Amino acid sequence: MSGSKAAEPVLRVKDIVAGYGEMTILNGTTFDVRPGTITTVIGPNGAGKSTVFKTIFGMLKARSGSVTFKGQDITNAPPRRLLTLGLCYVPQGRNIFPELSVRHNLELGGVSAGAGVDVPARVEALMERFPMLRKKSGQQASTLSGGEQKLLEIARSLLLDPQLMLVDEPSIGLSPLMVQEVFGILKDLRQKGVSVLMIEQNARSALEISDDGLVLELGRTRIQDDAARLLADPRVGQLFLGGVVGDAA
Amino acid sequence: MANMINLLMAGLATGAIYALVAIGFTLLWQTSQTINFAQGEFVMLPAFFVLAALNLKAPLWLALLIGLGASLLVLGALFKRAVVDPMLRHGVLPLAICTMALSIFLKEGVKESYSAEASPFPSFVPGGNVSLLGAQISIQSVSIFVFALVVVFALQAFLMRTSTGRQMQATAQNPSVARLLGIPVERMILYTFLINAGLVALASFLVSPVYLAKFSSGETLGLAAFIAAIVGGFNQIRGAIAGGLLLGVVDNFAAAYVSTQYRGAVPLFLLIAVILFRPQGLFGRAEERTV
Repeated sequence: MSGSKAAEPVLRVKDIVAGYGEMTILNGTTFDVRPGTITTVIGPNGAGKSTVFKTIFGMLKARSGSVTFKGQDITNAPPRRLLTLGLCYVPQGRNIFPELSVRHNLELGGVSAGAGVDVPARVEALMERFPMLRKKSGQQASTLSGGEQKLLEIARSLLLDPQLMLVDEPSIGLSPLMVQEVFGILKDLRQKGVSVLMIEQNARSALEISDDGLVLELGRTRIQDDAARLLADPRVGQLFLGGVVGDAA
Repeated sequence: MANMINLLMAGLATGAIYALVAIGFTLLWQTSQTINFAQGEFVMLPAFFVLAALNLKAPLWLALLIGLGASLLVLGALFKRAVVDPMLRHGVLPLAICTMALSIFLKEGVKESYSAEASPFPSFVPGGNVSLLGAQISIQSVSIFVFALVVVFALQAFLMRTSTGRQMQATAQNPSVARLLGIPVERMILYTFLINAGLVALASFLVSPVYLAKFSSGETLGLAAFIAAIVGGFNQIRGAIAGGLLLGVVDNFAAAYVSTQYRGAVPLFLLIAVILFRPQGLFGRAEERTV
């Protein structure tokens, strides 16, 4: 597993308040993500899980509070800056450009690349890593299966070599086999030192591959703890993991 | 036979102009949900920019350049900033209604400030006829067709083969994800409006020598291009091309073989047939929308 708890967090979210219009969703959300770990966010519907991600990634304005990435203040920074700094975000649902080819979809992940980045070489490297993408590189992205589209999105988000990936419900709508593949990629990333912050309705499987877990409720952090301890916590088990703790998964 | 070839060529020339204007329709719709009912007037206006410049004794090439520049500025940038941006916040329909008002404003504005009469417009392509398979084909028709086609293919190549073009497509297909990847979405949308302004200006310079420059000349053209866009499938450029050409040819043949009086009705019949049997258009894809 990962380094000591004392390590400087890669992401620090502090007292964030944000919402839509008059509605406040996040009420002082606070948590850390340790470097080289997978952290899973769980919580009931409407707890503000996706809203946290949108706020971190500059899609929603934080009214107060701060977000720090590797010691730099990134509160309300635009996506382009975040991408160059080493953050990436894979939102929920389908996020491809359906009528562009797989290759062109991948290339667009490099739009925000700095001057020194060789985007074509990075595209090649990703196709090396995900042979399916090379095989289908000329096809319209809409012809890919749901799981393949998710892989494409994840691959695209890796184009700029991120150090932190925000990924929202990666397993939704995927076959069990594909879920294993996606989780495998996330574990791989951790091995390479990339941190992952994930929202997952499939909370048990997600916590099983995670280092840390985070329970969000009404826009506040209720519990932040070891993923293993969360899995064993009877309150969490009852509320979010669907049944008695210790059930065969 | 000779007559058929003549009609076909004239139809293709008209159709190519419809296609230019229809492509603009689909581009605006794709990137900013704008249904521009003033599109016909957008074709009418650039000719008057050119005429105004000619009246100030500018040579034709300069007048055309000024006309193009003024179109990009007024029908591209200003249209987006002053009409689309503020109105789109209120929804697609208020914006559409606003463009109807704009169409009336432009028509009446030209009538009051320039002339209610049709004005001759100089052609920048040569006149005369060439002989082909026994038919006398107008060089002007051929030039219009070829010129429009070259522009359409250049536009397609720009959208498909350049990074900016693909960023524009990405913006049209999924704006929120485009934003996430750091694509400058606002700038891409502005480009679309500039391209539309360029297309209508070009259509204006091609069509005005044939049909003269008149304040009301956008009415039929706007409707025809709108129908062409729907027939082809509102969300596809190649649909707009096919729809435009088809409409131009059908229109010309109907005038010759059915009746000139029913000429205006034929595109509408085509429209009804397409909506009944293929509502997504010839090339379009069905769009899902929550209402």
